[in-house]
Amino acid sequence: MCSLPFLERGMKNNRFVAAVLLPSFLFLFIFSLFPVAYGLGISFYDYNPANSQNPFIGLDNYRRLIQDEVFRLSVKNTVLYCVVAVTGNIVVTLFLAEIISVLPARWMKTMFRTILFIPCIAPMVGTSMVWKYGIFGTDGGVLNRIAGLFNIAPKNWFLTTWPMFFLIVVYTLWADIGYNVVLFTAGLEGVPKEFDEAAAIDGAGPIRRFLWIKLPLIGRTFAFVAIMTMANYFQMFAQFRVFVANGGRNYSAMVLTNYIYKMSFDSFDMGYASAVAAALFVIVFIVAMIQNKMMRSDWSYE
Amino acid sequence: MKKRLISVLLCTAMAAVLAAGCGSDAGSGGDTGSGNGDEKGESSDGKTTLTFWCHENEPWVKSYKEMAKKFEDANPDYTVEVQDYPFKVYNDKIQTALTSSTAGPDIVAVWGGTAPSFIESDALSEVPEDLVKEFEEDYMAPTLGIYQKEGKYYGVPMEFNLEYGGMIVNKKLFDDSEIAYPETWEDLRKVSQEVSRKNGDIVEMKGFEMMDSDSLICNYLAMILQQGGQYLKDDGSVDFATPEGVKAMEEVLDMYQKGECDLECLTSGEYCFNDVYQDKGYMASVGSWAIGEGSGSYELTYGEDYEYVPVPQYGDEMAFASETGWGIIIPENGANKEAAWEFVKFFSEPENLVQHNIACNQLPPRKSLLDSEEYKEAMPNITFLLDILPSGQWMGPYNTSDMREIFNQTFIDLCQSDSPDVEGALKDASAKITEGCQISYSMGE
Repeated sequence: MCSLPFLERGMKNNRFVAAVLLPSFLFLFIFSLFPVAYGLGISFYDYNPANSQNPFIGLDNYRRLIQDEVFRLSVKNTVLYCVVAVTGNIVVTLFLAEIISVLPARWMKTMFRTILFIPCIAPMVGTSMVWKYGIFGTDGGVLNRIAGLFNIAPKNWFLTTWPMFFLIVVYTLWADIGYNVVLFTAGLEGVPKEFDEAAAIDGAGPIRRFLWIKLPLIGRTFAFVAIMTMANYFQMFAQFRVFVANGGRNYSAMVLTNYIYKMSFDSFDMGYASAVAAALFVIVFIVAMIQNKMMRSDWSYE
Repeated sequence: MKKRLISVLLCTAMAAVLAAGCGSDAGSGGDTGSGNGDEKGESSDGKTTLTFWCHENEPWVKSYKEMAKKFEDANPDYTVEVQDYPFKVYNDKIQTALTSSTAGPDIVAVWGGTAPSFIESDALSEVPEDLVKEFEEDYMAPTLGIYQKEGKYYGVPMEFNLEYGGMIVNKKLFDDSEIAYPETWEDLRKVSQEVSRKNGDIVEMKGFEMMDSDSLICNYLAMILQQGGQYLKDDGSVDFATPEGVKAMEEVLDMYQKGECDLECLTSGEYCFNDVYQDKGYMASVGSWAIGEGSGSYELTYGEDYEYVPVPQYGDEMAFASETGWGIIIPENGANKEAAWEFVKFFSEPENLVQHNIACNQLPPRKSLLDSEEYKEAMPNITFLLDILPSGQWMGPYNTSDMREIFNQTFIDLCQSDSPDVEGALKDASAKITEGCQISYSMGE
């Protein structure tokens, strides 16, 4: 007898939860799940939305992927870019976060965090343009001006292969370290001081304390930052489109996102572009799964 | 309980807003201009509104608006609304509009180089017969080429696009150096070598420039044709690796190797003529449309700071290849197609078209306008180009953007090589262009 009102309450509760979640699920379905499924469907067609007929071609777009040399280069460049840029990002942001976390005054911490965060607020297309002409520019760019101070002749960086790739990584680090600095600073400040002090009493120096005490203790933050940054960097687009719209010299800086755009909106080959996008989805998914498995931590210091 | 009720009401409101946002805008009376309903384009005063899309370019948009006004005066039942968009997003917008059955323009100005992407779909309205008759009688071949599909036309040319034949010269630099403008190709190379100054990868003072994404291929093709050669074979394929093609490429490479110009414009996507306007170059090959940039963007004075003069021809006979330039297309899904075609016919009438060409610094596409006194009087600086227009051939049934990309990449590789294999590189480029850039549909019937 007494279970009936309880059940009724539970049902009401469920209805309420459903009502609250419905708009979010609708949003998720319309703007996330449906486009992904639709894009996957398009990849089986010779698709141009303006055409009256878009023939079904089965796996032809995927067969073409395997034979496409530019696609293979794009996969290689994308993976290389992610490995180098994510590693660089984590090393630099951890270093900066550790320095910020040991600053004595609160206003100093806030000031440095704000300064480092400013590039994250600026639109990437805009800052990429500034870097393209102002810093990497052949005629009058900062890099060539600095080279000039050492009597080195100016260089057209856009004619280079790996140096241009490296410069894009440097730009990305500048543009994107702010977020992770904030996350790592929060993580490091959350580590109880007792562990650090105990290690210091035992004679551990600052580097050893950081590497063996603090770093393992911010494992969850580290895993979150690594996975999110990796997923984010796989989808980096603006700087590649601005610096090397055609993929750079011999496609040395062509990445998958730029290739998808090029196929879609330069060649209007949207079926094939969708197949490339599906490949990118699979790569990001696999990498995220591997990272998730490798970085799983089942404990907490709280 | 009250809180829950409010929450549920809020959720319902959010869901309603979401549904409304994703729903159709039919009947909203918005300014999208086009739709497929009966009331599409009908304004409250009973007039039919035609929406005309064009890209952002101040004098061009002004000219389109003047033409719209003129059309409205002659046809009181219509109003024409001109809407302009940044060029970078313009083609994507057209592509999207052509796919929509509920929103989009009635009339679209389009660049010939991108037109095949729209023509290959079945989204465009066919040009009416009376206009086609005028094409055959009065329009020059390069202006029509790209608008054909299976013997029918899907676009109306508004200009003759010419990226070869004229060059912007820095008058001040020439005057200061007491050098006359070159009149032969040999003179041009001699002056170019004398005045240029190289430092590392940069040529700080350029002589003759033609190494940007538009000018390089146009000048190169003209150099082949002027030797009596041909790069288009009978089967429609491209072959640059002919004796004329190799000789022309060696000449262009020589310009780079002797430090007369650099590759900066090719890698940055800029136009060479900007260097001339910035006192960093003496001469730059470019279409007449760049004349206005001198006074417009750089506040220079024509005749004092710069001039536009003929490029000395490379070979014995005047010849060049030209892409199809700007034209107008009418979407098949437009509800006011007939009215839209009336507007296009009005626009294309010689007395109207010539005014548009003058206002936009364009060359006329119609043979009958080559002798137009009105044009010659208004455009004395480019009259010399009218004489060479009949010597032009259409560049060919190729996606010229992709063609240029492959060609420019080949050229950059040759420039960067210590021992360039010109013939081999041209063979490879020809094969890539033939295989990857041919228009997918047939031009003839």
